Amino acid sequence: MTTTVVPPGAAGTGVRELTYVKAFNEGLLQCMREDSDIVVMGEDVAGYGGVFHMFDGVLGEFGPMRAVDTPIAEMGLMGMGVGAAARGLRPVVDIMFMDFLAVCLDQLVNQAAKMKFMFGGSVRVPLTITTASGAGLGAAAQHSQSLEAWLAHVPGLKVAMPSSAYDAKGLMVSALRDDNPVVVMLNKLLLGAKGEVPEGLYDVPLGRAATLRTGTDATVVALGRMAVEAAAAAEELAAEGIEVEVVDPRTVQPLDTETIVESVSRTNRVLVVHEAVTFGGIGAEIAAQVQDLAFDHLDAPVARLGAPFTPVPFSPSLEKAYVPDRARIADGVRGLLARG
Amino acid sequence: MGSATVTSEHTSAGERLDPQVVLDLHRRMVRIRVFETEAGRLAEQAELPGFLHLYVGQEAVAAGAMSCLRDDDQITSTHRGHGHAVAKGAQFRPMYAELFGRVDGYCSGRGGSMHINDLSIGMLGANGIVGAGIPIAVGAAFASKYKGEDTVAVPFFGDGASNIGAFHEAANLAAVLRLPVVFVCENNGYAEFTPQAGHMLLEDVADRAAAYGMPGEVCDGMDALAVRETVQRAVDRARAGDGPSLVEAKTYRYYDHQGVKGLRKPYRTQEEIDAWKARDAIELIEARAAAAGVVSEEQFERVWAETRADAADAIEFARASPLPDPADIAQDVYTVMQAPQ
Amino acid sequence: MAREVLLPKLGLTMQEGTIVEWVARPGDTVREGDVLLRMATDKVDVDVEAEGSGVFRPVAVEGATVPAGARIAWLLAEGEPVPGQVEAPPGAPAGEAPPAAEDVGELSLAAPAAASGSTRLRASPNARRIARVHGVDLHAVAGTGPGGRIVSEDVEELLARPAAPAPRASEPGRVVSPLVRREAASSGVDVSRLVGSGAGGRVRRADLAAAAPPPATAGVIPLTGMRGAIARAMHSSLQEMAQLTHGYEAEVGGLVRLREQLKAEWAGQRVPSINDFVVRAAALALREHPLLNATVRDDAVHLLTDVHVGVAVAVPDGLVVPVVRDAADTPLPALSAETSALAAAAREGRLSSRQLEGATFVVTSLGHYGVDFFTPVVNPGNVAILGVGRVKDGVRWEDETPVRTSVLTLSLSFDHRAVDGAPAADFLRTVSGLLATPLRLLAGP
Repeated sequence: MTTTVVPPGAAGTGVRELTYVKAFNEGLLQCMREDSDIVVMGEDVAGYGGVFHMFDGVLGEFGPMRAVDTPIAEMGLMGMGVGAAARGLRPVVDIMFMDFLAVCLDQLVNQAAKMKFMFGGSVRVPLTITTASGAGLGAAAQHSQSLEAWLAHVPGLKVAMPSSAYDAKGLMVSALRDDNPVVVMLNKLLLGAKGEVPEGLYDVPLGRAATLRTGTDATVVALGRMAVEAAAAAEELAAEGIEVEVVDPRTVQPLDTETIVESVSRTNRVLVVHEAVTFGGIGAEIAAQVQDLAFDHLDAPVARLGAPFTPVPFSPSLEKAYVPDRARIADGVRGLLARG
Repeated sequence: MGSATVTSEHTSAGERLDPQVVLDLHRRMVRIRVFETEAGRLAEQAELPGFLHLYVGQEAVAAGAMSCLRDDDQITSTHRGHGHAVAKGAQFRPMYAELFGRVDGYCSGRGGSMHINDLSIGMLGANGIVGAGIPIAVGAAFASKYKGEDTVAVPFFGDGASNIGAFHEAANLAAVLRLPVVFVCENNGYAEFTPQAGHMLLEDVADRAAAYGMPGEVCDGMDALAVRETVQRAVDRARAGDGPSLVEAKTYRYYDHQGVKGLRKPYRTQEEIDAWKARDAIELIEARAAAAGVVSEEQFERVWAETRADAADAIEFARASPLPDPADIAQDVYTVMQAPQ
Repeated sequence: MAREVLLPKLGLTMQEGTIVEWVARPGDTVREGDVLLRMATDKVDVDVEAEGSGVFRPVAVEGATVPAGARIAWLLAEGEPVPGQVEAPPGAPAGEAPPAAEDVGELSLAAPAAASGSTRLRASPNARRIARVHGVDLHAVAGTGPGGRIVSEDVEELLARPAAPAPRASEPGRVVSPLVRREAASSGVDVSRLVGSGAGGRVRRADLAAAAPPPATAGVIPLTGMRGAIARAMHSSLQEMAQLTHGYEAEVGGLVRLREQLKAEWAGQRVPSINDFVVRAAALALREHPLLNATVRDDAVHLLTDVHVGVAVAVPDGLVVPVVRDAADTPLPALSAETSALAAAAREGRLSSRQLEGATFVVTSLGHYGVDFFTPVVNPGNVAILGVGRVKDGVRWEDETPVRTSVLTLSLSFDHRAVDGAPAADFLRTVSGLLATPLRLLAGP
């Protein structure tokens, strides 16, 4: 019952396999060619091309005014992005690791997010923040977090979590074209993951979920890399005769509640999976929305699977236990369906 | 004293003053004084919701600095931002309407006193977070440079904000990227209620410029002409593409940190307040102009009268402006993008 | 100074006890250590001693079953009235225990069933919605979801049943209470044939009773005492837990041979039974898999420090589970001696309450009855129970050659709330591995 999501747009162009990070990079370069207001600023984004190769080729093609290496000063950098955006540029501010957002939250949360509202609408802040998130690389507690719930809680921000090469490009393109601050959370473990990507410029709208697989027995709503794990778990469960529908929201702000609720109304059971800690995670929001909008369609309480309430641990044994994986997702679904 | 130099000498009778400059500075200062005095009165009458950080006493800094700027130059301001907005050319009507929280306010009633902005005159906003406007101004300067404009960006901030990381990161960024920024520190001697000696060991904030390889100058913040002269040098340098500077203006606020009169025990002596008031910036420029014989008392009086009338009209306008409709509460949270196809 | 006498709570799982007999008489002056009453619990009968001195005033009657911790008597100073009671209740002469029903009001003497479970119908919102749409009375639906919750599939399966049309929640002109519907459904009576004797033709329980002649009985075994305790424990276990069972075939050829050897060599000495080896293996495996040595309480799984293995023993009127304490630290010969002593004590009905309390895991065997695989029911308070099947001939393949060996089936029931399928299987693999190397079980503590 696997369905492939066929990308719209980009008609007439070829499709080839690209890595997630290469697809992201291609979307950025193509947009920069279209729009001279886009500038990239951050630590080691120009000369070095970004520590994850996200910005390879930007300096070479667009020069030092559009690829700006900055000091290690996230607060100043983020503020500079805000000011430049308010003055009509479309800056891309790269915060190397998502954990470092904590260093510059004032500029992101109190300035970028609120500026339009508190100025009475007189300003636009077309700012794109790119950042690497996620655990699984032994990077420990300060280089591994998934903080989408923090950001999604702030009115004025948008938050995208691409789970495939196709989405890495398409969501980045949408972020660059959006007139609001958008945080694009790349997942470090997915950077090398390959997928089919059209050559041409296309976008993946912010706020539209992808149904990665249709199913009738339960819905798994999975964010970021967990969508990949959920799809694998669904294959494992299919062998047991359990047909799982996998929904990847792709952005958590805005959240495509409609697709999730529609799916749960058909399957009557739902498991929400993210690699952030369960407590206060986006899973709680999704659970609340589902019970609010699909209460009469539930056969089981909304289940959540996330990380335990601890910082991301270092040791491989601990980190493996920390991050949900396909086996635990499959077990979670089995638990949802347990009868008799 | 590092790279800081003091530029403040008292002028005596017979000095040469440009009457147009004097009138311009005087008008900016009077507009601030009248606007703030009336705002304070409205607050004491409990007509205004929320916080009110008044600028009375510091007028020479905003007036002197703004007289060096064009409409397309950018400023960012502070929680004590009315003076900067008025001096940059903001209108009384939408300013008062915003203080009243009305739909005709600069922020449509969404922002209030601490978020007044007017992008049409380069006022990139007051700011409720101490120091937060500084990197934003650096970003505005980056945009100027990127677009090839000769505009400059001026973040205003206090002595207290010169301790916050955002100031230091922004100063270093502007210096290393050679951006057209003039950092203007209004040193009024207090970080809220803490005297300068209690929050930093330097006597002059301008000394901090040396840490970032930029010039730093101190000027008399009660003397609008002195502020103008010092800021003009920094603006010229920025426009010429030579990078940022830091100007420190020593000044004083007459009112409390918030509102007019402090409710708690005084943290400043009456002697100290009186000593600064004796050097009041508006009285100073009026006296000097009289001594130099370049502007008549009647001309100054006319400015006061016009400004008071303007304020009275704006306050009536603000009172009559409707409150925002709660149905519109979610307005302007996001710029609405065209719906995805 | 008045001193309360409370029904003692013997161990974690004791819910209630029955006052079998007041040993002390009302008005007796008792001293600390004097026996006040004989109490029956679901596990054992015990004598309850006074923890202080005073004039004895019971406030509950013999035969009453009361919750653990409830006040059952007072020890008073000479001439002191029962606190909260100005005068003796009518018809209760001083010095005699007043009737329980009109007692001082602190005791809940309600039937245990009412105390233990809510009467709220457990059904998922989706099941309720579908039932509403199709007019199905959920009281007639058996729930198969977790904890017996009715899920939509239960309703759909009922609707799909071809022969029996789904019971309708409402039929025009006919009023039937949900209770009667439920009882009618469970006894197979067609409600539409009942004649209502209630107001407006309402069908009452009495009508149902009249319509449904009781099936002939050859005898009645009341669900009281040990039978009642087993009934409640097993029912609550299945209602509360999400139980499922893994079957796992363990090769025990080596173990069978080792026992033969020991029987020859340890002349006269007790050779540990297959079951003893399994108990020992399970205890050691629990050290490696602490998740199976746990209890679910307050919406959390609490991993337990001690490993106390209960060993189920059949007795004439039921089943008791004496406990080998610190089983993982008990060498096999000592463990074997202990299980043997416990079994003997169980059959003679002289187990102490301590010997019956505190199992963190249970091993139960039906091997002697020829059973291979079964689904043991987890003891309330535990998360798993291991069933031991019959030792039988099996085949092991060595390359292409079949080799005769012995196998037995391990049946592990576990609470899916606490333990997922994979860790349960891992535990079984560890137990099986230990049974395959029996000398390790024989060695050391």
